[in-house]
Amino acid sequence: MLAVIVVSVSFGACEPNEEAAEALARVTPPGSELMSQQAPRVQRPTFSNVRGPRLDPYEAPGRWPFYWTRAVYSSGYRGYGRGWSTDYPKGDQQFLVVLKRLVRLNAYDWENAVRLDDPVLRRFPVIYMVEPGYMNMTDSEVEGLRGFLDAGGFMVVDDFWGEDEWRQFEYNIRRVFPDKGIVDITLDHPIYSAYYDIEEVMQVPAINNIMRGFTAECRYWPCDPQVKGIYDEKGRLMVIINFNTDLGDAWEWAENPSYPLKYSTYAYEMGANMIVYAMSH
Amino acid sequence: MERIFEFLFKYRPLVFEQGEFGFAAPGSVRLWLAVAGLVGAAAVASYTIARGKSTVPDRGVMAGLRVALFALLFVCLLQPALTLSTVVPQQNFVGVLIDDSQSMLLAGEDGAPRTAFLQEAFTSESELLTELSDRFALRFFRFSDVAARIDGADELSFDGTHTNLAAALDAAREELSGVPLSGLIMVTDGAHNSDRPLTEALVPLQAAGVPVFTIGLGEEAITPDIEIGRVEMPRAVLEGSALIVDVVVSQTGFGGRAVPIIVEDEQQILTEQIVDLGPDGEPVVARIHLDLEGDGPRRLHFRIPVQPGERVERNNARDVQIEVRGEREKILYLEGEPRFELKFMRRAVAEDENIQLVILQRTAEGKYLRLEISDSTELEFGFPTSREELYRYRSLVLGSVEASFFTHDQLQMIADFVSHRGGGLLMLGGRSSFAEGGWTGTPVEEVMPVVLGEPAGGDDGFFAEVAVRPTPAGLTHAAVQLGLDADAVSTHWDSLPAVTIVNPISEVRPGGTVLLSGSSPDLSEDQVVMAFQRYGRGKSIAMTVQDTWLWQMIPPLEDQSHETFWKQVLRWLIDGVPESVQVITEQEQVEPGESVRLVATVGDSTYIEVNDASVTASITSPSGLIEDVAVEWSVERDGEYAVEFRPSELGAYEVEVTAERDGMPLGSDLTYLHTAPSDEEHFGASRHTQTLRRIAEETGGQYYTPDNIETLPEDITITGAGVTLVEQMPLWDMPIIFLLMLTLMGAEWGFRRMRGLV
Repeated sequence: MLAVIVVSVSFGACEPNEEAAEALARVTPPGSELMSQQAPRVQRPTFSNVRGPRLDPYEAPGRWPFYWTRAVYSSGYRGYGRGWSTDYPKGDQQFLVVLKRLVRLNAYDWENAVRLDDPVLRRFPVIYMVEPGYMNMTDSEVEGLRGFLDAGGFMVVDDFWGEDEWRQFEYNIRRVFPDKGIVDITLDHPIYSAYYDIEEVMQVPAINNIMRGFTAECRYWPCDPQVKGIYDEKGRLMVIINFNTDLGDAWEWAENPSYPLKYSTYAYEMGANMIVYAMSH
Repeated sequence: MERIFEFLFKYRPLVFEQGEFGFAAPGSVRLWLAVAGLVGAAAVASYTIARGKSTVPDRGVMAGLRVALFALLFVCLLQPALTLSTVVPQQNFVGVLIDDSQSMLLAGEDGAPRTAFLQEAFTSESELLTELSDRFALRFFRFSDVAARIDGADELSFDGTHTNLAAALDAAREELSGVPLSGLIMVTDGAHNSDRPLTEALVPLQAAGVPVFTIGLGEEAITPDIEIGRVEMPRAVLEGSALIVDVVVSQTGFGGRAVPIIVEDEQQILTEQIVDLGPDGEPVVARIHLDLEGDGPRRLHFRIPVQPGERVERNNARDVQIEVRGEREKILYLEGEPRFELKFMRRAVAEDENIQLVILQRTAEGKYLRLEISDSTELEFGFPTSREELYRYRSLVLGSVEASFFTHDQLQMIADFVSHRGGGLLMLGGRSSFAEGGWTGTPVEEVMPVVLGEPAGGDDGFFAEVAVRPTPAGLTHAAVQLGLDADAVSTHWDSLPAVTIVNPISEVRPGGTVLLSGSSPDLSEDQVVMAFQRYGRGKSIAMTVQDTWLWQMIPPLEDQSHETFWKQVLRWLIDGVPESVQVITEQEQVEPGESVRLVATVGDSTYIEVNDASVTASITSPSGLIEDVAVEWSVERDGEYAVEFRPSELGAYEVEVTAERDGMPLGSDLTYLHTAPSDEEHFGASRHTQTLRRIAEETGGQYYTPDNIETLPEDITITGAGVTLVEQMPLWDMPIIFLLMLTLMGAEWGFRRMRGLV
């Protein structure tokens, strides 16, 4: 069922970032233009400031029970400082479309990016953070993230690879929680059965790599996919870390016939499970 | 005043009240009227014919005065009289009921106890007793909680710990039912501290025509004094619940003062709170917050230290029994979609050992996430489809789930869950809740405390961000208390962030009470945020906010408002929810040897009353002796079983009732009873004039105080029942008539002098 939905949902991308667009151009399979033309293209204004896009100013936070919210943080990503926006906003929009088909979720239809040091972050108890391998949070962002998680927020981390990026992420998350351990989330954890029954942790490749025949991005180091977590004092999971894997690309490129279905399926299953779990535990 | 009346009218007012007015002169009234007319006409004619200096008006005045004089004289000739029945001396009985309870020993302002009156009035040498004995055969009774015959007032001991006026009247009436009874004299302070209503005793007396003459002793207000009037507290509470106890404190002579109320149990002082006593003579309610740890029966002692000069010291303390229940109670929370409200409510009560919040969350059509279930079969097929399955839960929380999710039977089942099973129902705000969820017109709508109108229109529906504040009712309600006093509660709510509502509700049903309301500059009227009502045996709560989790996410971490709120609300939701088998004792505390009634209600797993169950009470005394007593169906009500027993030891009795039918267990329940000497006579110990007046008036008797007791024997003679004879009491020689005649004659003479007609 999930596979059918994933391949059948063809979504008009709004503003894919430049790198992703380049990758798409390199790997565009025959017939994809036709597919793109057939799909309804929904154009929506973007709302930006120097630190990144924000919620539609005409949209009142709280109108919808759920907002898929991307964490905006500072980084030195290739000199642009926009590591948070990888796959944004197409990945977010496409994820929401499929997620709403799979889960009975009354969600806001559009992307929602919020800075970690913005007080409004507390109104969105689940946030999504990508590419933390280049993150370099400011002190106010560290404070904001700590307050968010301590209050009961839940963070999904995704799309960073290899030892260097891990160290960078770990350095930053240690600034948030110096004393909290980062532990493996084994397959007996309820997050793997919150919605779908997931029996193995799969490495989800970025689209660039799978086109070249790789799944791992870190070809020179050990690169097993790992799911780790950070728990609060009461044993409640508050951060789930998808390391050496890229769920976001699978959500973003699920409609691309060249992107293997099994990865998209797994990514959406994992995404649904993380959302259902985060909204009930 | 009564003496002046008697001087002018010859008899006391009571005689006029009881007697029937008439004329005793022989002959026809018409004949007498004709004669009177002729005499009157002659008088008028004599003034009409006469001439001289008088004018026509002069002659009119004088004729009128003369006619009035003749009329008065004429009335006397008719021999006016009162006809009334009086009891025949020494052929009738009078019962004298004397209060033998401890309160009779209380000293008055002059230092003399109330019993001093008895020694004056009811000893063999007393004038009152002599007069009564001359007219009636007297029978004496002593009474406190029970009544008994005695030979005289010298047998009284004044050691009764309760006063039951109704039982005393019943006993005397029954004892004297075979003899001609003129009336009952009841000597008491009127403090009736039994549960039995007085009306039950007064109706048979009215039917038998037996008047009761009450003599009230003691002062109407004992000053200065402080009394703990009553302590309002549930008989059972879930362990760890925030308990709010109302203590009614009354006082005279201590107005404007502040005194401490100390609450302690067997081991320690639990809390101490200062209460302002307010204006002199006006009772105040002190609201005390208690946290009771540890399950089992607890005996709480509420006391106010004795203040200098207090007249009664033993009414400054009260003991109250409470059972702290340690069970883990199940609440079913059905959520129609993944929502943060569920996550944060779960977190709020996760560490509450007494609440098991079972989650059934619809994640897709026909797909559910189940959490906190007891076993893998629980809610295996979704929401319960039978009453037996649903009634296992004590309360039900409905999240954002549309009414069409349920079958009609399930909707009816939810309504019955509240009205019949006695469960608690809480509906949360959301896109699929209330009218927006299609609940209007369903059986559940009737249960809800709020009025559901038409669903909010428009593409986007209704949406409002509101600031939540407690209503006056909410300020004092335990469920929404976020501070220790009303000011703190209000301030605390003001500090919480605004939340959102998508269900516009501004009206509650007639039985509903609003505890929280929401306001917004964008709205013309306040929205109902939280309201509740009792419905049948249970209660329903409407909570229209869809994101109370903002109270957790936004305030500082140390703020526990969200946790406290939901813990209190969910505990309130399950508070008082009955089991299928329940037992209570009609009194919380009795004295050793005093009878206590044990009442059990028995139902099956669907809470349908069962009348053919085998019910046994296992009573464990403080020393460990166990006695099994069969509890029989009371016949008065379906499913009600009752038995009386008399505890003989001092201390705590444990009573466990088990019920079974056809060898299958229906359930069991536990309750506790404390036996101890009672101080009840020292509470409300002033004279209860209203009660005593009521007894007298409803039975045709009279109310007296020691100051006006001397007319009692004659009053009984006039108004009493029994063997009577008809007596005529002439009125023509009343002094008032002679005075009137003199006045009329003097008026005519004076008029003539004034007009120069003499």
